[in-house]
Amino acid sequence: MNRVKVLQAWLWCVSLWSCWLSHAIPLDCKDETGSLIQCTSISQEKLLDRVIQHAELIYRVSEESCTLFEDMFVPYPLHALRNQGGTVWHTKPFPIPGSKTEIQQISDKWLLHSVLMLVQSWMEPLIYLQTTLNRYDDAPDALLNKTKWVSDKLLSLEQGVVVLIRKMLDEGILTPSVFEHTLTPYDEPSPEVLESILRDYNLLICFKKDAHKMETFLKLLKCRQSNKLSCLSY
Amino acid sequence: MAYSLSLGLLYLGLLCGNGLVSARSELFTPDPSRGPHFTGCRSREQETFRCWWSAGIFQNLTEPGALRVFYQTKNFLSEWQECPDYTRTVKNECYFNKTFTQIWTSYCIQLRSVRENITYDEACFTVENIVHPDPPIGLNWTLLNVSRSGLHFDVLVRWAPPPSADVQMGWMSLVYQVQYRVRNNSHWEMLDLESGTQQSIYGLHTDKEYEVRVRCKMSAFDNFGEFSDSIIVHVAKIPSKESTFPTTLVLIFGVIGVVILLVLLIFSQQQRLMVIFLPPIPAPKIKGIDPELLKNGKLDQLNSLLSSQDMYKPDFYHEDPWVEFIQLDLDDPAEKNESSDTQHLLGVSRSGSSHVLNFKSDDDSGRASCYDPEISNPEDLASLLPGHSGRGDNHPLVSRSSSSIPDLGVQQTSEIEETPIQTQPAVPSWVNMDFYAQVSDFTPAGGVVLSPGQLNSSPVKKKGEGNEKKIQYQLLSDGAYTSENTARLLSADVPPSPGPEQGYQAFPTQAVEGNLWNGEYLVSANDSQTPCLVPEAPPAPILPPVSDYTVVQEVDAQHSLLLNPSSSQPAICPHSPNKHLPVIPTMPMGYLTPDLLGNLTP
Repeated sequence: MNRVKVLQAWLWCVSLWSCWLSHAIPLDCKDETGSLIQCTSISQEKLLDRVIQHAELIYRVSEESCTLFEDMFVPYPLHALRNQGGTVWHTKPFPIPGSKTEIQQISDKWLLHSVLMLVQSWMEPLIYLQTTLNRYDDAPDALLNKTKWVSDKLLSLEQGVVVLIRKMLDEGILTPSVFEHTLTPYDEPSPEVLESILRDYNLLICFKKDAHKMETFLKLLKCRQSNKLSCLSY
Repeated sequence: MAYSLSLGLLYLGLLCGNGLVSARSELFTPDPSRGPHFTGCRSREQETFRCWWSAGIFQNLTEPGALRVFYQTKNFLSEWQECPDYTRTVKNECYFNKTFTQIWTSYCIQLRSVRENITYDEACFTVENIVHPDPPIGLNWTLLNVSRSGLHFDVLVRWAPPPSADVQMGWMSLVYQVQYRVRNNSHWEMLDLESGTQQSIYGLHTDKEYEVRVRCKMSAFDNFGEFSDSIIVHVAKIPSKESTFPTTLVLIFGVIGVVILLVLLIFSQQQRLMVIFLPPIPAPKIKGIDPELLKNGKLDQLNSLLSSQDMYKPDFYHEDPWVEFIQLDLDDPAEKNESSDTQHLLGVSRSGSSHVLNFKSDDDSGRASCYDPEISNPEDLASLLPGHSGRGDNHPLVSRSSSSIPDLGVQQTSEIEETPIQTQPAVPSWVNMDFYAQVSDFTPAGGVVLSPGQLNSSPVKKKGEGNEKKIQYQLLSDGAYTSENTARLLSADVPPSPGPEQGYQAFPTQAVEGNLWNGEYLVSANDSQTPCLVPEAPPAPILPPVSDYTVVQEVDAQHSLLLNPSSSQPAICPHSPNKHLPVIPTMPMGYLTPDLLGNLTP
């Protein structure tokens, strides 16, 4: 219990710190030489497009990683797990609606915040996933590279979303979202056991689902920006 | 802990479950061997979905209501709820409308028989995993370009996303796949996934009909929707006349130009081509004889040429030894028949060979050859020897006349060698052959009758003299004949021959037909000459000179030949009345000089 509390406190501090950082320090723009220059402004539409591109890429890579892992480690009868969308392994602070009608009723603010929340919630698990995958004996390099890449891209996605929020919502302050992550204890190796395999498999499935959410939200947001009428639920 | 527990439960549930709806939902294939089971679930636009089941072998459960579907959304771990809508029109279908459809949530459905409270089948899935989008609509094509050869073309195929899929909102991100094939072919060509709504197809063949169709699926998912209706793509081959027209023209002009060139070439090089293609057949040719001579009709030259051939010489030698170099100089009536007589004489020789008289074929003709036997004879005598054959290509005529002077020295030596041949009567080839003939009698018509003579016993000196005379002959005459002066000169040098001069006397003939001779004849200055033979040789011990023949100047009434009419002596024919040409040793050379004649006359 102490340990858990310590971890929670640490996580709180980390999230606070990250929020403070993102809020207090403006985004530094660096040119090729590395010197700090004033960030070149970018239009909101362009930024949104870039963010959507990021989300799409992440979503596609997540799907590929899931397939790779599935082909490599997961026994065939358990491939149906993928179809089932995995089990929720961590609770969300707020439920995300699943139906289209409900999603269409979500406000822009809420959409952006949801995306941000999702991005932030997946940063750590992906790092964890990298470590666990490295422990596998015959993990394909493509899988490792993809997970690494996704982790990096998540960071940039988060940056983009933060800027979007600032621009679209004119919110300077970001309320930090605290998640209670049930972090997997590191002192439980057992990489090749089926349980760990399933765990990792589930993680990948869930990540793919959440990436899809991110993409959907961002696209809806874009649709709303360009053409409000058709995107609204009828 | 809780997480791992839930995971384990799920795993167990999966293992225990009877039916599984796989991610790649195969459906609509009810398995009759099984009990009631789900045949599949599908969503078209990710907003609603349907599920179907089958009673299977349990036919008693086919009536509606016997089997019921319950579902549960795993998100909230809620209780099982029954199917919100059993489709009335379609049998065994459960329809979930928008309200009941949630993405990113797992659904589990169960097929239960409520009466028996038996769960026959269960399946879990998420809606986005069962989405099979509708086929795209509005498929059409436009021609991009046609290859230069007219055999290939490219098209751009366009379509629109299915209207049911809300692509604009981003609810569904679709990717498309275009397939095409040659019509009535069984194999479809598949192109790469395309996220846009158009695609180019390259490398299609003209005059072939192609079928093109397209289908779509959600990106990052595996379920393709149905194919759209196929469209026919066809481009007719355009017979590009314009492109072929100039090529044919160029071809025609090129051919015409080549033909003209060939014709010009042939006409310009006609001669050469004729030689190349039709080489002239070599006409029969005799060496040394110019066909032009034959045409011009200069028989003299021809005869000399012909006589220069070695092949004729043996014939001459063998056949008519004495008929040679007889030159008639018959005046008056004799002259009339001269030709005939000459020809008669010559005809005798000709009987043997036509070239008999041209034995030596020198420009000195018969006289030179007889006069200088040591020069000419050695070669000829050598040829007469049995061991000798034709002398090859030696042309005594040409060679001797031209180079007799320098060759003299050589020939002298050869003469010495050959003299024994001449003097020795034992020479077989010589036995029956005489170079000269003794005139034995005269015909009333003035013809000369010849008789075989005897060999000269002393031809040595004569030969030597003959050489000189030959030289002199060469110098003073053009070789064909000796003038009177020359004859005198020579006769002066020559001592009277010891023996009776006989045989070889030259009768100058004036009008020797050029047909037979080569123009080589001895011409005497005097015209009228009576044939008068001076048979006997002067008794003087000194051998007569080398002169081969004597100029007969006139013939006296006694039918004796006057060799030198200048002398007061009448015709020196002492012997003639007396001897009637007795056996007179043949003198191969020498002639009677006036002095000799004087001696001879009794």
